[in-house]
Amino acid sequence: MLEVNIKRALPGFTLDISLTVNEEIVSILGPSGSGKTMTLFCIAGLVRPDAGLIKLNNRIIYSSADQIFIAPRNRKIGFVFQNYALFPHLTVAENIAYGLARQPKPTVSKKVAELLEVINIPALKDRYPAELSSGQQQRVALARAIAPEPEALLLDEPFSALDTYRKERMEYELLSLYRYYRGDILFVTHDLEQGFKLGKQIAVYDNGKIVQYADKYTVISNPVNRTAARLSGFKNLIEGRVVACSVDEATVFIPEFEQTLMVNFPKSLKLNTDQPVIIGIRPEHLTAVSQPKHNSVGCRLDRKVRGVTTLHSYYYALADQQNRYSLECLDPQTFLDHQDHLQDTCYIHFNPQHLVIIPLD
Amino acid sequence: MLEPFIMPLSVSIKTVLAATVITFFLGIAAARWMVDYKGRFSSLIDVLFLLPIVLPPTVIGFGLLLLFGSRGPLGKLLALFDTTIIFSWPATVVTAVIVAFPLMYMTARGGFEQVDPNLENAARTLGAGEWRLFWTVTLPLSWPTVMAATVLAFTRALGEFGATLMLAGNLPGRTTTLPVAIYFRLQAGQMHEALVLTLVVFIFALASLALLAYWKAQARRNGRGQ
Repeated sequence: MLEVNIKRALPGFTLDISLTVNEEIVSILGPSGSGKTMTLFCIAGLVRPDAGLIKLNNRIIYSSADQIFIAPRNRKIGFVFQNYALFPHLTVAENIAYGLARQPKPTVSKKVAELLEVINIPALKDRYPAELSSGQQQRVALARAIAPEPEALLLDEPFSALDTYRKERMEYELLSLYRYYRGDILFVTHDLEQGFKLGKQIAVYDNGKIVQYADKYTVISNPVNRTAARLSGFKNLIEGRVVACSVDEATVFIPEFEQTLMVNFPKSLKLNTDQPVIIGIRPEHLTAVSQPKHNSVGCRLDRKVRGVTTLHSYYYALADQQNRYSLECLDPQTFLDHQDHLQDTCYIHFNPQHLVIIPLD
Repeated sequence: MLEPFIMPLSVSIKTVLAATVITFFLGIAAARWMVDYKGRFSSLIDVLFLLPIVLPPTVIGFGLLLLFGSRGPLGKLLALFDTTIIFSWPATVVTAVIVAFPLMYMTARGGFEQVDPNLENAARTLGAGEWRLFWTVTLPLSWPTVMAATVLAFTRALGEFGATLMLAGNLPGRTTTLPVAIYFRLQAGQMHEALVLTLVVFIFALASLALLAYWKAQARRNGRGQ
């Protein structure tokens, strides 16, 4: 179990976080420059925090109160760097063996052979890192980090240098490696899908703070604030004001639309009349219809494609006369259906079930 | 017949080899230490280390005479052991080390600082202490630069004249190095001898530069490999 509670002043903001990892994979999700990497560096002992306490399996590895700072080499924490940081002058086998220096030779070669099997590149053991593909380098970096059997493993955006295909392969391989390595894993990413796929818990970072730390399903269905909502895929965030509410349904007036929307919300949430709120909705949940319908807003279609997934495109629907307010929607038809089914003027339907409501203070 | 040439050559070779070995270790140690040293005096120490590059050799020679003279602090210290280095062979080594040290220090430090800090961080998280990580990561990765630094130090030690003359004097067979010998041959009007000695130095210098170019190419190749 890894328990982290640290403060560290950084240019422009202060990192101030506390989180616990209990033999699971935790994804740290946040925009660039929110202190994700710095958190990992502090845990590994490569950067000294200003204050706080870090415990690994009840062993204090940093404590400002007791003036304890265990050197990185004695922390038993594995680290996979963003650029892998493989030693360019050592072979694959020597790289993996680097952390096993204190063990007898036969043990080391046995361990290295075993890990080469696990990462599936036994034939490449005498190659140098520069002779490997980035996916192979990635695997060597992982094997090198887990070779000394660390109690925690930290991964700093390990897949950012890979192309999409390799990235998915590596995500799968990391999960299978996890069966070989049992310990706390902290995984930094700015990619929601990756954080969701790999992590069990997600810690959402913003400006050096953890804005939400919860089970991944909670994070994607009930973001707690604007940043958490944006990071978990709610690309449309609309400000409004509650005009009426029951235990699980609210009527929210949206000034931009000059009309109200019905929103369902979990019973645990307390809402008051007149409360300012943000309504979030994913592009995947916005559909254009040709006839007005309950809970829909009249729009003009902006046909500029906003983005594409493999088969679908995202487009903008302009929801007000000044063309200021645009909603990002997913085209439910794929590129394989060639017909243009959308008209220039349409109605965007908001399913109350799919809207998420975030109270503003 | 060859003795007049062999004597200064052998003095120079002994001096330069000794000075290069000492400078090699001193320079690397100082560079390694300064890369990590973040104290208040770091720029002051850096300036002190580099000072011999900009000072005229006569100033260095005079300074060393003051230090090692019978009234200087180091001279007094040596006097306790009943010895002095002025006008002796060790003086040629001392001056050569002083003038060669900044080149070794500066170049080696540049090499150490170019090593990706995450490689050193990786070594740390893999259980390496600072000593092991220096020998297994930092030094091997900056090896071409360190070798280039050594060649520079070697050539500078070979070329040292002014400070050597002031501190070690001109005692043939003991302190007369090649540059000093050339100067006194010229003074004595022995043009041919001076020319032969000049050629010897020339070949030495050229060979060193060829070596330097080789190491540089090596460094570039390593750089590409990463």
